[in-house]
Amino acid sequence: MNEHTAPTPDERLDALTAELPREIAPPPEVWTAIRAELTTRSTNARRWDRWRLAAAGLLIAASSSLLTVVALRTRDHARTVAVAPAASRAATPAERELPARLVSAEQGYLRSTEALRRKLDERRDSLAPSTVATVERSLRIADSAIAEARTALEHDPSNAVLAALFTSNYERKLDVLRRATELAPRT
Amino acid sequence: MASALSLVRPAQTSPSHPSGLASGELAGEDTLVDRARRGDMDAFERLYHLHAGRVHALCLRLAGEPVEARELVQDTFIHAWEALPRFRGESSLTTWLHRIAVNALLERRRRDQRRTARVSLVEDEDDVERAPSAGGFVAPTDVATAIDLERAIAALPPGVRRAFVLHEVEGYTHEEVAGMTGLATGTLRAQLHRARQLLIRALSL
Repeated sequence: MNEHTAPTPDERLDALTAELPREIAPPPEVWTAIRAELTTRSTNARRWDRWRLAAAGLLIAASSSLLTVVALRTRDHARTVAVAPAASRAATPAERELPARLVSAEQGYLRSTEALRRKLDERRDSLAPSTVATVERSLRIADSAIAEARTALEHDPSNAVLAALFTSNYERKLDVLRRATELAPRT
Repeated sequence: MASALSLVRPAQTSPSHPSGLASGELAGEDTLVDRARRGDMDAFERLYHLHAGRVHALCLRLAGEPVEARELVQDTFIHAWEALPRFRGESSLTTWLHRIAVNALLERRRRDQRRTARVSLVEDEDDVERAPSAGGFVAPTDVATAIDLERAIAALPPGVRRAFVLHEVEGYTHEEVAGMTGLATGTLRAQLHRARQLLIRALSL
């Protein structure tokens, strides 16, 4: 039997295919174009995220102020009509406490916001200073809105509008923290 | 293809890893991936230089012409940058980049097909997708060389070319190619058979 038979067409094709170069360097301008595109996208994304965070902060401030005014007016009107003498006396310690369901909700919100805050603090160095400033400003607005709603609730614990405002302010604070931690890459 | 072939580097393949990188380079690559995930553009540039040659070779053979190949390389690495936080390392980075490149090509073909469908009834992908460098099959005039084979591959009908490049050149299994291209393995085998017949005839093997 002849061991040196001519290769078949399939074998010759396989041999040629195996010799094809596995790497063909692209021209240098390809990376230049990629880098330019990524830089543009990154700048646009940062601009958009800062805008969203700032908008969230403004929304908290605006809705908080508006709803607090509405809620307090509703409360004052009810007190004037129903029990006028009660409106003038100072609230008792019992009245200053939040309803149990709100206390429980607040504890949950505090746990969540603290966890996100820790995460954000760990990744803070990877965020642009301007983004950190926007986040902090939004968080201060959120905290102020929460405190405002809380004080109003302590005086009027049964006010459903104030209760909704109180929880929605916490939700918005959580939203700001979530977005900010998503912006910051993991370390 | 000739201008692209002047940029050919020697093959750097490793039997131990599909990326063709040595183990030390792979360890370094993991670090680069982590840094790039955190937005480090310099780390991503190094990853680009490690992989661009293989991605470009694949794109060149899939597209069959250099201009679209360069655009595909750009699309691939731009998408890779955005998707890197989701890269879990379940496949090698090379395989992951190749998948992105194939998807980018298929997406372009779908767009082309939609445009073509506006003016004509589309029945066969291969009828719509013309080989960019030649209207028909290129018969080499000299002996069968690597350059002739590159030209012949570039002149294959696009679907057949994809199957041949991914399976015969890049070494992906039938199942992997089917997963990348969305083809049934039976169709893939038929395309591979057709590719071999066309290449053998074109190269007079």
